[in-house]
Amino acid sequence: MSNRNATRSELVESDTSTYEVIAAATAAVGVLTSTLSFLTLAEIVPFEGGLGGIAMPTVFGAILSLLGVVTIGIGVVSAVGVVETTPDRDAGLVTAGAFGLLWAVVAGLVVSQSLGFGVVVWLPATLAVGVAVLFGAVFPKEDLGSTLPGGALALFAGAVFLTGTVGTGWSWSPPDLQASFTAPVVVPVVGIVGSLVTAWGAAKAHGAFGRRGRQRAAYMAIWLLAALVLTVLLYLLAFVTMKGAGRAFAGIGFGPGLSFNWPFLTNGVSLMEQSPGIWPAVVGTVWLVVGAVMMAVPLGIGAAVFLTEYAEQGRFTQVVEVATNGLWSTPSIVFGLFGYAFLVPRFGNTKSLFAGMLVLSFMLLPLVLITSRESLKSVPDEYRDASAALGVSRWETVRSVVLPAAMPGVVTGVILGVGRIAGETAPLLLVTAGEIFPAKQNAPAVLRSFQVDVVMGPPFLDVSNPALFEASSALPYQLYAIITAGLSSSNIENSLEFAWATAFVLLLVVLSFYAIGIATRTYFRRKISHE
Amino acid sequence: MSQVTEDDQLTRLQEALDGAATGGIAVSVVAGVCLVGAFASFLLSMPFTVPFLLGFVGVTAYGWFAHQAETARTLMFVATVSTVTVLGLITFYVFLEAAPAFANMGVVELLTRLEQPLWNTETHVYSLVPLMWGTFVTTVLATLVAAPFGVAGALFISEIAPRTVREIIKPAVEVLAGIPSIVYGFIGFTVLNPYMTEKFLLAGQGSLFLAGIVIGFMALPTTVSVAEDAIASVPESMKSGSLALGSTDWQTMKSVTLPTALSGVSAGILLGVGRAIGETMAATVILGTVVELPDPLYDVFGNTITLTSAIAAQYGSAFGLHMNTLFAAGVVLFVTVMGLSIAAQYVEARMQRKLGGDV
Repeated sequence: MSNRNATRSELVESDTSTYEVIAAATAAVGVLTSTLSFLTLAEIVPFEGGLGGIAMPTVFGAILSLLGVVTIGIGVVSAVGVVETTPDRDAGLVTAGAFGLLWAVVAGLVVSQSLGFGVVVWLPATLAVGVAVLFGAVFPKEDLGSTLPGGALALFAGAVFLTGTVGTGWSWSPPDLQASFTAPVVVPVVGIVGSLVTAWGAAKAHGAFGRRGRQRAAYMAIWLLAALVLTVLLYLLAFVTMKGAGRAFAGIGFGPGLSFNWPFLTNGVSLMEQSPGIWPAVVGTVWLVVGAVMMAVPLGIGAAVFLTEYAEQGRFTQVVEVATNGLWSTPSIVFGLFGYAFLVPRFGNTKSLFAGMLVLSFMLLPLVLITSRESLKSVPDEYRDASAALGVSRWETVRSVVLPAAMPGVVTGVILGVGRIAGETAPLLLVTAGEIFPAKQNAPAVLRSFQVDVVMGPPFLDVSNPALFEASSALPYQLYAIITAGLSSSNIENSLEFAWATAFVLLLVVLSFYAIGIATRTYFRRKISHE
Repeated sequence: MSQVTEDDQLTRLQEALDGAATGGIAVSVVAGVCLVGAFASFLLSMPFTVPFLLGFVGVTAYGWFAHQAETARTLMFVATVSTVTVLGLITFYVFLEAAPAFANMGVVELLTRLEQPLWNTETHVYSLVPLMWGTFVTTVLATLVAAPFGVAGALFISEIAPRTVREIIKPAVEVLAGIPSIVYGFIGFTVLNPYMTEKFLLAGQGSLFLAGIVIGFMALPTTVSVAEDAIASVPESMKSGSLALGSTDWQTMKSVTLPTALSGVSAGILLGVGRAIGETMAATVILGTVVELPDPLYDVFGNTITLTSAIAAQYGSAFGLHMNTLFAAGVVLFVTVMGLSIAAQYVEARMQRKLGGDV
């Protein structure tokens, strides 16, 4: 008796493991198919040529049909009890609703567009199919409910592609939209949907449905989404680097004698210039950042210290808090409008570097304030108490105990903030931006034009440094300017390349600030947690 | 004997302290007057800003050496007030410049006008409807991208990813939040717009669809970061309790972690939406920036303009009422985003209260 039982359980186990392997393989094929679909959509895998001589719709049709059949099979095998699984009573209303919606869309499109029926027919048909699928998914046990609708969808899509109903040259122009949907878009998108719903069902089966199966499927979905997001963002960085790094680094090296040459960074744009560059924009950005930091950092830290160390928590701090968060979320273009209305008229009615510095410092201020406050708050109260117990005055405590302890956080905040304002374009358009392609000699020479003869009376401050009160370029503005100039300038050969190189330099500058800021923070956090 | 000296010493200390206090107060008052003077002179475009500023610098320099504590305190107070002042100035000036536009068309008309002409700079007939519609559509599309991906990304980082993966991905996402919007716009303009034209056979340059998707990806890292913070702040005890009852990790996430962190996660989404609404450069560069409503309204492949891109695209040629109308667009933008910001703060405060009880 016991012997028989043992054999039986062995048998079941081996069955289950074959079943698991098939389910895992199906899920893997589904994921790979969706990857192939994304690559096709991104034109990394060419659509027109097909894959290995077979037209793309046929390839996707075959894979989807296979996935559909296997997924339905997996569900049926579990439902008739050939393998031991632990399905829940039903697939859940959310799942059923999603399947119902998908099928309703398919039905609606087929009835209205392929068969050409009017709204009187397609609306009821859509609703009927949707509700039918919803009930079909919610009534049977979970194993059938979560595999059948998805598998059938993949099978249907596969059939449509295999029969050539949607071929390589297919396209559909909806009557209301300006766009047409062509096969190179529709086939991979359908491929993504079909492969993912089947992969999801198969992943559930791999975990034998039930709680474990749900977790498998959900984890797979989340891993895929996260991978997709990261891939897109990293691809973006790689793409800009690939397109721009060549031009940006061209001709770099030691020139005549000991001088160091980096033509793209140290040249301007002019008729005589052999290899035009973005020097004025670089200088402009440097000055903008320096100016903004010089104004915003003391203000931000000062306010943070006042709020955490001096002010009573009450109405006043609340108002400041709301104002800070408000400033933080105010769109950058509104800062630009403000600068245009308030600063520009007061600086001789011209756009100027100084106005840009002020506006950017206003944008930087809330960030410095918020991060400084956070790090001041995280300084343990024991520090303050110990200092006070030694008879040290409040100000001395703040100066020599609290501030040094909070410094790492403050520095991190400032660096991250600088990264943000260095890439800011919109406000500069309204208050600072000058020429589209400035020559090297037009770079703002702030240091050289400091004039010592400060005149106390009228006119304004601008007596002391005219360069501050002239329009200037900046890296992000330079990129925008190239776009508005229509990617063509008589002084620049191949200005598209020039633009990519500018984008690359901008990314490099901004992301370096971010990387340094985050690295600093991580370093100090580790240090604190080790202490 | 000793008693007397001690008393004596005390009085002298008292006197010194009093002196310091009065001196400090005097410095603070003079510095304050100088600063207010400089500010007033700047506001009224009068030529006394520099002398007042120099006076302020001089007084505070003296105060720093003579009465450091009081001076520092005053300076910090000034810094705090300046934050509020800046927001006040922004509000005041943007509304001030927008007022003629509202007076010209009437508030309701400007915000709801649907008859042609929608935007005529000759006869000064304006309607912000196409701008608001453009912003609305791009924001909805962006949210459709940023919300599900953002929540999934946040769950992945804080709950699912193995430790090593998390330690790479978390800072990576934060760095990616720093990609300037003009870079997204540039890629959209040079790579994605031609792609859309080829694949969707679009007639013109740019579409709301593309702008929305690109802005969604831009807002994504912000959403992930904030939502991740919220999920990570769910007390470990709650999760352990759920796990101890025999639920799987996923059940715990779905039924305990996410519902608890819901306010924080929605605050993250709201912040992302705020970024999407205020996003200027990507929209300006990708959209065709024509001031007309897409026909039909829901044609996401159509072209229109957003509140932000109208300002960025037209400020150069605008003056008079036209410029005022752009300021009115700024007002709509400002008010909307401010509302979202306050909503996000409220939601976050609620979360703090909710979780505050048992931590």
